[in-house]
Amino acid sequence: MSNSAPSSEMGKTSVVDALLAERRRQRGIHLVIVIVLTLLVAWSVDVTVIQDTDWERMGSLAEVLRSAGRFVSVDWALFPKLVEPALETFMIACLGTLLGVIICVPAVWFGALNITPFKPVTYPLARLMMTLSRSIHEIVWALFFVAVVGLGAMAGIFALAVRSVGFIAKMSAEAIEDIDPGPVEAIRAVGGNGFQVLLYAILPQVLPQVLGVIIFEWEINIRRSAVLGLVGAGGLGLVFFRQMNTFNFPGVTTVILAILAIILVGEVVSYFLRKEVI
Amino acid sequence: MNSGGPATAKGGAPAIAGDLHWRRYKFPESLYEYGAWILVLSFLAWSVSYLEVPLGRIPAMFERMVVVLSSRYYPPDMEYVMDRDYLGSVLETIQMAYLGALFGLLLSIPLGWFGAFNMTPSRRFVYPVARLFTMGFRAVHEMIWAILFVSILGFGMLAGVLALTFFCAGFAGKLFSEEIEAIDMGPVEAMRATGANQFQVMVFGVFPQVRVAFTGIGIYTWDVAFRAATVVGFVGAGGMGWYLKRNVLQIETERVAAILISIVVLVLVSEAVSAFARDRVMRMK
Repeated sequence: MSNSAPSSEMGKTSVVDALLAERRRQRGIHLVIVIVLTLLVAWSVDVTVIQDTDWERMGSLAEVLRSAGRFVSVDWALFPKLVEPALETFMIACLGTLLGVIICVPAVWFGALNITPFKPVTYPLARLMMTLSRSIHEIVWALFFVAVVGLGAMAGIFALAVRSVGFIAKMSAEAIEDIDPGPVEAIRAVGGNGFQVLLYAILPQVLPQVLGVIIFEWEINIRRSAVLGLVGAGGLGLVFFRQMNTFNFPGVTTVILAILAIILVGEVVSYFLRKEVI
Repeated sequence: MNSGGPATAKGGAPAIAGDLHWRRYKFPESLYEYGAWILVLSFLAWSVSYLEVPLGRIPAMFERMVVVLSSRYYPPDMEYVMDRDYLGSVLETIQMAYLGALFGLLLSIPLGWFGAFNMTPSRRFVYPVARLFTMGFRAVHEMIWAILFVSILGFGMLAGVLALTFFCAGFAGKLFSEEIEAIDMGPVEAMRATGANQFQVMVFGVFPQVRVAFTGIGIYTWDVAFRAATVVGFVGAGGMGWYLKRNVLQIETERVAAILISIVVLVLVSEAVSAFARDRVMRMK
């Protein structure tokens, strides 16, 4: 820096210096983060893959490929027998979603900050409900409901319903928190009671969004209901495990194809429904 | 919802009293609208009867739920989950989720790129293939992936890691491609105009736009992977799911309750961590 440089120039240089120093510091932090993450990966690979795998059972790569190759064929004879379980799976998903939506109503009412009746109690209660519902896997829920209502489709329906409450209620409550308060005030001003406010001011504003979320969850529920057979809730999952236990590997592939087929149907239907709704 | 306009008298004919009623749906739309609802409802009713759902058992169910919970699952055997072996399996579960999410994310970046309609290298060949793979990975439940890999590779966490990898690749791949489809095409066109190739466009035109969203999705994927990792052990793919399965089979319900509580607590913690990390990432934007 020469003496002839004007003072403003000096100021600029120091700003640039500060920026460069800041960038260097950021780069240093990033480097440390990357190193830590890489070490974590290495450690995890060591623990989960290298130490915990039964390499002798697995044998050579050729053997692995051979055992994977058992699945590369389709048992077409099984196909007619899959129609009924596929229908069951589909129905469990539909009924589970419906029941989930019904259970959602109080959860949404309590869980949206602007309409919750008694904030210090009901709001945390609803949030707890949502988190509990989402954090427990559907298999675990199904186990619980099998213990309560016995084997059969009903356990699956309840498991799916309880599992879907969290997501639907959370998204719907967030949608309700974001509404325009104008219509609510208008209905209140003309003397509408709480129920009328809900029906005429809140519901019309959030309906498209909520329906979109419900359709999305329905699509996911189809995929979930296909594995509930693992714990005795019927449907395609039961056939899957039967095929697996009898070592009919082409049959396993067939069941997976059937699952893909109903999920594809669900995805197409959900695409058109969501387009219609929004 | 397709709402018809207010019903007005047709062709300027003098309106008769009946026509003055406002209807939301006029004749053809009303038929489709209500017909669709009736179809859906009758399908649901039919499925209740087809699945032979014992509706009569529902009133007694709540009582039974309380009885089952209080007599079998209470008090939870918390000493069991404080055991060293069990805590070790929790650590393994976390590592499994971490690796599965990481590999899945690495796999999902090309899937997201090829499966985004605006950026895919070839709309006719690569796009449908990438979409098909993303859908297939996503459609097959993580438990089914776990069972397949256990049967191919044997028991152990490798099967779990691979199952989570495929599950996360499908999950994140779809979100990634949607994110790429929503970008501003201006920078992309500018890059193309200066003669950049596909890869350069991706790295300098697209990636800076989606970086923050991708990081958020990545953290969320880890969260979802952890939730799935707690149960893939159920079929022998490692982690704490195995403890769950063993105790369920031995009808050690008090231990099952303790394990479930530990799962809920861990998921809550992971959710809090992921929400915090996503919040930090979003603020960097």
